[in-house]
Amino acid sequence: MTEFRLPAHSRIHTGVTHAAPEGAHDVRRVRIYRFDPDSGENPRIDTFELEASECGQMVLDALIRIKSTRDATLTFRRSCREGICGSCAMNINGVNRLACITSVHDLGAQIRIYPLPHLPVVKDLVPDLTTFYAQYASVKPWLTTQTPAPPDAERLQSKAEQEKIDRPAACILCACCSTACPSYWWNSDRYLGPAALLAAYRWIIDSRDEATGERLDALEDPFKLYRCHTIMNCTDVCPKDLNPAKAIAEIKKMLVQRQS
Amino acid sequence: MSLRTPLAGVLGRGAAKSGVHHWWLQRLTAVALIPLGIWFVVSLLALPALDYPVVTAWMSQGWTAVLLLLFVLTASWHSYLGVRVVVEDYVHGAGAKSAALAAVSYVHVIVAVAGVFAVLKVALGGAP
Repeated sequence: MTEFRLPAHSRIHTGVTHAAPEGAHDVRRVRIYRFDPDSGENPRIDTFELEASECGQMVLDALIRIKSTRDATLTFRRSCREGICGSCAMNINGVNRLACITSVHDLGAQIRIYPLPHLPVVKDLVPDLTTFYAQYASVKPWLTTQTPAPPDAERLQSKAEQEKIDRPAACILCACCSTACPSYWWNSDRYLGPAALLAAYRWIIDSRDEATGERLDALEDPFKLYRCHTIMNCTDVCPKDLNPAKAIAEIKKMLVQRQS
Repeated sequence: MSLRTPLAGVLGRGAAKSGVHHWWLQRLTAVALIPLGIWFVVSLLALPALDYPVVTAWMSQGWTAVLLLLFVLTASWHSYLGVRVVVEDYVHGAGAKSAALAAVSYVHVIVAVAGVFAVLKVALGGAP
């Protein structure tokens, strides 16, 4: 049955407070979820008090500052620091977003940072995305055709055909959407989640692809696709302003239309 | 612990090749319930009184009985489709889920049959 409390070993305790530097007057309190699997202890919330000028522009800057000046064991993923790699997705003040493009100045004096919700935690802010990536792989995110490619040219698309996949193809697989979805929380073992379904849609509507029918067949399932109940958290949180909810609705529409 | 690959876990037993019909019927019944629901509430409010003789007289009219039957059947069907989804969402053990889904099916059939019987009994003059 549904669990309403976290398992005993997941309940969060109060952690350490790293006080603000002497004479600080504009203090930002950054509260961060910490979990170290090797310690055998429960997760805890550490508080880091930073002078506002120390934080830098973005939440990622503040995290790097904390790691280099307060606690070097703080663990998080980051790479491009400009919203294109999707590594630093985390739950910041209750919303899944990319730390590198979330301004500290939009968040107020209290900043709460947790890993993406409802995933196993590897350490601190690093969630285990194994299943998420397997879901992406399961929709076969590559061009599938029977017609051989022209020997001396690319497979061509019209401008209008390209524009259809332009936005869906901009997904960076940060997992903000899937981990914001309650349906994904309860059934991620069988529901593919908005990110994988957006990827599926991107290939279903690709004018060059010849496996549309097989792709739709593979999604026609009460769990893989139809666990989507149009909650729309996915579209709400997408840091790239994509619309997975609409993509899923379009897939459902195509499945109905091919029946009659 | 399992040594299956993550992809094998996600692919599971493959697609069940169903769900379209369920999804479409849920929309179809939802749309039908809008006029039926409004008609039901407005008609009840328009009655001069809500006592037994007035309501049974109203129910015995041909069109009222037909629309009430449609309302009972559509609402039960829509509810069955919706509650089924709720069970699938939240009940996870295989045994518990099968039992809950069976119970949901039975309850909805009982409610629908009882509703239809009640309407017909009044409409066809069986009620005192």
